[in-house]
Amino acid sequence: MSAARTLTFSIFRYDPQTPGDKPKMVSYQLDETPGMTVFIALNRLREEQDSSLQFDFVCRAGICGSCAMVINGLPTLACRTLTSKFEHTTITLMPLPGFELIGDLSVNTGKFMREIAERLKLWLHPSSDDKDIHILEEPMAPEEAARLYELERCVECGVCVSACATKQMRETFVGAVGLMKIARFEFDCRDNRSADDFYHVIGNQDGVFGCMTLLGCQDNCPKDLPHMQQIAYLRRKMTHALAIS
Amino acid sequence: MTINTFVPNPISPRVLGHRRSAIADQLQSATGIMLGCFLLVHLHFESSILLGKDAFYHVVQFLEGGMFSATGHGYPWTSQIISLIMLVVVMVHAGTALRRFPIQLGQWRALRNQQQIIKHSDSRLWFWQLITGFGLFFLAPVHLYDMLTDPSIGPNLSAERVYHGGLWILYIVLLPMVVIHAMLGLYRVLLKWGWINQRTLLRKLTMIAIVYLLMLGLASLAAYLSIGAELSLPVTPYTPS
Ligand code: SF4
Ligand code: FES
Repeated sequence: MSAARTLTFSIFRYDPQTPGDKPKMVSYQLDETPGMTVFIALNRLREEQDSSLQFDFVCRAGICGSCAMVINGLPTLACRTLTSKFEHTTITLMPLPGFELIGDLSVNTGKFMREIAERLKLWLHPSSDDKDIHILEEPMAPEEAARLYELERCVECGVCVSACATKQMRETFVGAVGLMKIARFEFDCRDNRSADDFYHVIGNQDGVFGCMTLLGCQDNCPKDLPHMQQIAYLRRKMTHALAIS
Repeated sequence: MTINTFVPNPISPRVLGHRRSAIADQLQSATGIMLGCFLLVHLHFESSILLGKDAFYHVVQFLEGGMFSATGHGYPWTSQIISLIMLVVVMVHAGTALRRFPIQLGQWRALRNQQQIIKHSDSRLWFWQLITGFGLFFLAPVHLYDMLTDPSIGPNLSAERVYHGGLWILYIVLLPMVVIHAMLGLYRVLLKWGWINQRTLLRKLTMIAIVYLLMLGLASLAAYLSIGAELSLPVTPYTPS
């Protein structure tokens, strides 16, 4: 193997909590090690060079969705990005645009996700008569379970929100993650909401009819969720709900 | 870059379905498809000049209903009616599309900021669709108004319009704008409603269509210019010998 490269990390630094602090890009050097991810590199930088560096992580395995950031122009998960995939030795790191900045690379995706869940009521709405928790749930057809699971894989990383120019321009737009989650409940046979109920939540300019199909969500989602098909499906479904109402 | 990359301030809990936005979305798509298809046909008819004056004459004669007129040349008012219909379609399309336009400075900044930070090719294509759409908002009505007020079309009459009337300046700007806007628009609308899911293939076809239509349009424009240069004023309408 060739000699280890020295990588330069150009990192966005700004702490809104520090009075007088100004946003800037700061460069750090680090020797690359085999199997190094951006997440590993950031941890080493924080341990060895600058303990004030702020970034988020929990699982290190692409499961929690907290380490999303913009790496060389691509919004993605830092723990799943190997530094070896970059030909150039300079790696630029920016926080995800479109969220409240906590500091440096850390953004408040949690706040956004909670608000969107409350706004779109992203939880199961069972039919009113099965309130008794002792009643066994009806078994679900394996195909349906698989279909649900496919959408359930979202880790709420916020990448699709940042990658969407529509969302950046229109802050009240629900974004791909909101639409994907609605699609998930729409498929669920246990959910009692009708197309009409969903129409009231996403059948508008801030919902499915605000999407301009720029496909930043589909192309960047680290979980490869099928945004394009699902949003098109919802759009047709909502148009249909309108036509028969 | 924006520092506090804003978060939707407690998102309004009052989210209601709006019939209007659904209808506007469908109208935008429908008129877009109509205009895109019209452009495809329009550019091909008009490029028949590349096959010679006779070919173009017959195309125009056919489209203007030559077989129903006593002179055999057809009625230029058919062009006026088509122009009028197209003007209405363009207006509906523009009206429904404008609601997407980043009207506020803040929206424009957010868009540019995001495009600087995040590299995404389809968003960039859309950006060109937006810019060309904005240009067409002004240029397309000029062309349509011209056809409404002076509908005379024919190998010599059109060449006169292009060359002596100086309209080549309009066309040389209009052509790339309309071709880019229409083809990217057709690409997007097909994906948008999920009618086609083979995106890579569709994207390739779109790029091929853009290059092809541009070449076709430019070649026809060159043909009109060279015919126009040979004409002496006042121009007599062409009749096949
Ligand atoms: S849909 Fe994909 S990109 Fe969006 S939040 Fe979920 S995992 Fe992240
Ligand atoms: S740290 Fe959990 S997804 Fe990266």
